[in-house]
Amino acid sequence: MAGSLIGAVRRGPAGVDGSRPAPAVVRLPLRVAAVLARRALLLAVLLACVFAAVELLPGDAATATSERGESAADLAQRRQLLGLDRPVAERFWDWTTGLPTGDLGTSARGEAVADLLARPFPNTLLLGGLALLVTLVASVTLGCWAAARPGGKVDRAVSASATGVLALPEFVVAVALVLVFALWTDWLPAVTLTDADGSPASWKMLVLPVLALAVPQIGWNVRIVRAALADESTAPHIETAVLDGLPRHRILTHHLLPGALPTISAGIATSTGMLLGGAVVVETIFNYPGIGSVLAGAVTDRDSPLIAGVVAVTGAVLSGVLLLADLVRAWASGGRT
Amino acid sequence: MNWNRRQLLWAAGGLGAAALLTACGGGDETSSTAPRKAGEKPRPGGTLRVGALGRASAITRDPHGTQANESDYLIISLVHDTLTVPGTRPNTAPRLATSWKASDDLRTWRFTLAEGATFHDGSPVTAEDVVWSLKRLRGTPSGASRLPGIKPENITSEGDDTVVLVSDYANAELPQLTRLTTFVLKKDTKDSDLGKAPGTGPFELDWFRAGNARLVRNKKWYGGDVLLDAIEVKIFASPQAMANALLAGQIDVASNVGAVAARTAEKRQDVQIVRRPNDMAMPIVMRVADGPFADPRVREALRLAVDREAMVKQVLSGYGTVANDILGTGDPAYAKDIPQRERDLPKARSLLKEAGFDLSKTYRLLTTEDIAGLAEAATLFASQVREAGVKVEVVRQESAAFWEKTWLKGDLYTTYWGTNDSVVFFASKTMVSDSGQNEAGWRNKRFDAAYEKAMATKDPAERATLLHEIQRIEHEESGHLLWGMADGIDLAAAAVRDLPALPGYGRVQLETTWLAR
Repeated sequence: MAGSLIGAVRRGPAGVDGSRPAPAVVRLPLRVAAVLARRALLLAVLLACVFAAVELLPGDAATATSERGESAADLAQRRQLLGLDRPVAERFWDWTTGLPTGDLGTSARGEAVADLLARPFPNTLLLGGLALLVTLVASVTLGCWAAARPGGKVDRAVSASATGVLALPEFVVAVALVLVFALWTDWLPAVTLTDADGSPASWKMLVLPVLALAVPQIGWNVRIVRAALADESTAPHIETAVLDGLPRHRILTHHLLPGALPTISAGIATSTGMLLGGAVVVETIFNYPGIGSVLAGAVTDRDSPLIAGVVAVTGAVLSGVLLLADLVRAWASGGRT
Repeated sequence: MNWNRRQLLWAAGGLGAAALLTACGGGDETSSTAPRKAGEKPRPGGTLRVGALGRASAITRDPHGTQANESDYLIISLVHDTLTVPGTRPNTAPRLATSWKASDDLRTWRFTLAEGATFHDGSPVTAEDVVWSLKRLRGTPSGASRLPGIKPENITSEGDDTVVLVSDYANAELPQLTRLTTFVLKKDTKDSDLGKAPGTGPFELDWFRAGNARLVRNKKWYGGDVLLDAIEVKIFASPQAMANALLAGQIDVASNVGAVAARTAEKRQDVQIVRRPNDMAMPIVMRVADGPFADPRVREALRLAVDREAMVKQVLSGYGTVANDILGTGDPAYAKDIPQRERDLPKARSLLKEAGFDLSKTYRLLTTEDIAGLAEAATLFASQVREAGVKVEVVRQESAAFWEKTWLKGDLYTTYWGTNDSVVFFASKTMVSDSGQNEAGWRNKRFDAAYEKAMATKDPAERATLLHEIQRIEHEESGHLLWGMADGIDLAAAAVRDLPALPGYGRVQLETTWLAR
């Protein structure tokens, strides 16, 4: 999902050269529309790739959903039932034209894709959203704490542990969390079970999956926040603020953070993609009722409409988050440069 | 129904997690396999929380569809009844059909329905409902393989309580075909109503959501008193997560969770390990029709080169039994008297020499990671036959590629089957010359003749003799090397009693299960 709203507006430490670029804010709606159109096109290409890729894999949805012992004629019947006897381009076109009406097609097992995603997708959004929130709060807090006294004990400890955890894959964190907090201490549930409405039966069930997802991302983002603050602190206006004798926390909240905001928001936005990717693994370990399990099974089943459905909804969310991050950056830089 | 090939796909992942898990827990090495303690009387009440494997992408509510999810199959079979169900001796037990009788030519079979059987909405079950349901099943793409030899027009009713099936050929084991998928719905149930259609089973559906369901006792079940108040079925994508849920007390039963989980739970005194023998066969197929293994002496040599005890111990963690190259080990008619083949490397070497087998070549053994232990079995097999001088290289194929390109065609590959209580099932499906899934391309006139004769023989004693003959030929000449049988393994909380010990889908019969708490 490439494309930036502000292009090359922000070059190096802001305001160093003192020039004033054209007011980005004025052209914002136009740019937003352009970016949206570009992202939609990209998503369409991606979805076409999904259909093409599934086509290239050995086997198809008919063989994947058949039972041993079905004759060639039975398979042909199944293929016809699923529409697999038609060219892939035609199937993709049919599927795409259903999208504007909210019709995501039918899975290889005859269930409506929209129904299959109706519960899991909000669940994944909840998980990812909470993990993003935890990541944001924790990394900004820790980053600021570390940046408060560069080179101090806290800074060294935070930076070192951030480097340590960012290298940890989600599944390692997840398995360790289950072992410690569920099986040894029995403080939290080991897996997520759902109640009659299809959502997690208790908030406690969210704690471990959210942590498993957030910990590696916190590691990543703490470093970004820390670096952005360090970068920003060399700016002339910060030095002025320090020389003016402004309180430390005021410099942080009113001068340092606003300046570092574009970088931080970009880092967090990148994490959104990582969080959704990690969710597939984490959901399996915690039996979390999200789209991870849907996606994994759909790939096994060569279920193009279902895979494309998952890609479409996640792609839309990712585009939204990236757009938001771009807007934040545009706003933060546009207002200051 | 046979095992859908994807059914246990998830079993492959996360072994590392299980290895870590074995580190936890302490105490003595005691594991109870006894479903009931002495002097205990079954008592009614309680809610049983059962975890079953399934993927959200594969959820289906259609009783006559292909249920890749064990969770879906469990829910469907608690709500809906089949005509017959798997049993131990004999292996076909009555359910909605209380009795059945064949014509003298063994082609026409009459099934009598249970007296007083009703749907959950109170209406009586009629032969018309059953005929409609069987025809609906027959009309699905899998229909021809689920009811082989039975044309839709040959499914009819006689009066209110008799269903007549006419087979195209004599079939002494026809009732066996009605065990797993002949779910009965009310006549003219619409496809859109399948999810809430009333069944006749021991439990009624309370709610279903995204693969999970709650079922409540059917107080008026014709089959007897159901003990549990309710069953909650929870869908799990991975056996590891399911085992964790059980160990953490979030569920009471982890259904078909596998040997790795059992090993993890061995040290927990509050967890029962329920072993269901003869659950899964993982034979190695050696092509008979042509290729390097066409010579019977070569196949015999490989059968003598494999160390069966070591395979069971290492591949199945000991949760299994040694087998004797005959498929259908759970059959009451299984020929236990045929001497067990033991490892004999000198004889294997001399047979290979006699046959002029090219020992300089490396042979490819194709396998998949569809189910836990399959690829491991291939690897261990390769190292064992190496001791007899045969060089085998294990090649792991992606599931779809394997089933499309290797299965039924390869010279040497692994396969697996989950319905193992019938010798005839395997003979008819995979060994008779013209069978649709002749895995080894085996064509043996004596075998075919014995099979056909057995199928057309009504006298049980005479048929038993013929079944024995079938197994003897299979033992000596077939293309299947069956080194062992994996147990089906469930984990259960301490209070769970009388879980079914049947292999395969016999595990869904939870109407007699109860809770001692």
